[in-house]
Amino acid sequence: MIVGLGGAGGIAAHVLTHAGIEVVALEAGPNLDATKAAFDEIGNDRRQRLSSPKARLEIPTWRPSASEAAKPSPWSTLGVNAVGGSTLHYAGLNPRFLPWNFESRRRTIERYGDGAVPAGSTLADWPLTYAELEPFYDAVEYAIGVAGSAGNVRGCVGPTGNPFEGPRERNYPMRPLRRSGWTELTAGAARRLDWHPFPAPAALNSEPFNGNPECTYCGFCDSNCCHRNAKGATSATVIPRALETGLLTIESSARVVAIEVDGDGLARGVTYVKSGEERFQPARIVLLAGFTYENSRLLLASRSTAWPDGLSNNHGQVGQHYMVHIIPRVLGLFPGRALNIFSGPWSQATCLDDWNADNFDHTGLGFVGGGMLAASHEMKPIGTAGGPLPATVPRWGSEWKGWLKRNAQSIGSASAQLDSLSYETNRLDLDPVATDAYGVPRVRITYETRDHERRGAAFLRGKLETWLLEAGASETWSGEDFIVEARHAYGGTRMGDSPETSVADKQGFSHEIPNVGFLGASLFPTTGGHNPTLTVQALAWRTAQHLTESWATRMPSG
Amino acid sequence: MRSSDASDTNRETWSGSVLTAHQRATLDAMLARLVPTDEHGPGAREAGVLRYIERALASEYREDRDRYADGLREVDEHASKHFGLGFCDLAPEEQDAALSMIEKLPRSGSGLDSGGFFELVRGHALEGMFGDPVWSGNIDQVGWDLLGYPGVREEWTERDQRLDAPVRRVVRRSEDGPQTDRRAD
Repeated sequence: MIVGLGGAGGIAAHVLTHAGIEVVALEAGPNLDATKAAFDEIGNDRRQRLSSPKARLEIPTWRPSASEAAKPSPWSTLGVNAVGGSTLHYAGLNPRFLPWNFESRRRTIERYGDGAVPAGSTLADWPLTYAELEPFYDAVEYAIGVAGSAGNVRGCVGPTGNPFEGPRERNYPMRPLRRSGWTELTAGAARRLDWHPFPAPAALNSEPFNGNPECTYCGFCDSNCCHRNAKGATSATVIPRALETGLLTIESSARVVAIEVDGDGLARGVTYVKSGEERFQPARIVLLAGFTYENSRLLLASRSTAWPDGLSNNHGQVGQHYMVHIIPRVLGLFPGRALNIFSGPWSQATCLDDWNADNFDHTGLGFVGGGMLAASHEMKPIGTAGGPLPATVPRWGSEWKGWLKRNAQSIGSASAQLDSLSYETNRLDLDPVATDAYGVPRVRITYETRDHERRGAAFLRGKLETWLLEAGASETWSGEDFIVEARHAYGGTRMGDSPETSVADKQGFSHEIPNVGFLGASLFPTTGGHNPTLTVQALAWRTAQHLTESWATRMPSG
Repeated sequence: MRSSDASDTNRETWSGSVLTAHQRATLDAMLARLVPTDEHGPGAREAGVLRYIERALASEYREDRDRYADGLREVDEHASKHFGLGFCDLAPEEQDAALSMIEKLPRSGSGLDSGGFFELVRGHALEGMFGDPVWSGNIDQVGWDLLGYPGVREEWTERDQRLDAPVRRVVRRSEDGPQTDRRAD
């Protein structure tokens, strides 16, 4: 069975049912009819109504270090609770990781020496390579529908895609989303800087795909559901196909509160609450796919004689190596120009990997890795008016109004996702006091941004400024040094070869319990400098496929 | 020029409001300084921002009621202490000065937002000014017009996305779909 039928769970359900395996998926949220979705910046972007069934009711606590008291998290951790999960409302920016990401520790030390890894970091390599994951990236891109332009097909580097990408077997299933005045303005600037811009790979339909229509560039994509099912949410793509096999049972509005084990310490199912009553769902295999926070939380909350510190936690690794993306963002003013970027989705964008991974010489910079830069569409009105302002502009009053009137449609922005390391002291555990409505302890986040990430963010911010100025901005500004994006959350059940330093093996299964597996970014040893979802889904596909092959050896006997 | 009807409606007491008359008046005065009616066009009063906030406090933002009660009282106390009168009774320039001082006060820093009553109100004012009119603010799209934001359309074309392309202003009628779900209100 699968806990959570979102971006990762949906992929696994699809793979397993197509292999003839019966799957029960317990999803805490409802089944939504995306065609009833509204273009709603207040309901979605601001009030995050899609998180109401669960996430908003159990907001994690947070403390910077173990010596301080925890209080409600200052950074949003909210995802969508519904069949399809956060893929219902995500922007769908869907690049693959680079080959370097899978062995960033080894290659960093090789090139820059041991000292390049900051003290206190628990940076570790992935237990698999890009080449091993490539067939699964391909499978997801074709199943969900990702629109893009290949950069490297079987070693042949083409002119229109990302020249830094790892080799792929074949092109994307759909051509990129439409280019626009803004995407071409920023692409032209990047080329003049001798950078290598490419159209953002997007889990959106650039043309009709697998029975779903094409995107119409409405500008209500990120944080909003797609009313046309032109976004590759798992609920619009793989989940319906899984249901067609007749082998998938979905229990929606079903909230899992504990994983249950048998006398041998193997999982035997989960306890969940639906319609006010507690029920038990038996299972021979349990896959946790409730998002990063929940995956660790359920393990830690499921204690027994065999698992006194939580399921699969006899080595104390559950909750460890927690990471979030650090995101610098820069805005620029293009006086007198109407950029028209209120239109179009966030993933209608120009991207570049020149400042990502080890694609540039880091000597003397004081950090490793980097991040993908992106200049996107989708500036909604409240976000525009309420966004960061140049230092000389007041934040309210007549002068502010006048500035907005002159400039609101002339503001463009670019941001970067910094590859942010894991550290010994950044982790997830259970809050000793705060619980949710079911009596399950809330997650407690212990997290502090380190100097290493501050240096990386400052460096990328400089590149973002350079980019916008080259594109014609008369001035650039930021609100804060960087945003802590706690919805790009990683770790807690990280993959690795050793149970001493990881929770999951290279197939995504617990080192300690053969019949518990993990889906989601809780598996990631590193954040990488790209959006997580495509890699989440490729791993989920791989874990599910492995399960179809190893089924008999993982199940409890009898 | 906007007709006076919109701002009159805004000032009518709404029976569902959780604010007292004095709290309403103080908040209304605050909002009128945050987003004034001026040479740049209509402001918070014409847009119905007060009504937006009242409806929100009566529904999804009910957890903010205490913060509004405490915060509005503190605004008054601050005005009295530094300018000798309650906030509503100050001249606009004094109200601006009072708000500037309040804006710089330390914030508690807890909760999802940056904390601080001023920031809370500013955030809600942005919603009431620039959110979809279906939510009771941004009456007649005056907020969107200020931003040059044309309104909501299901489709923007390749021409619309060219730099400097003129874009048609969209007038949203309540029967246009897709509509936001306000049943939780």
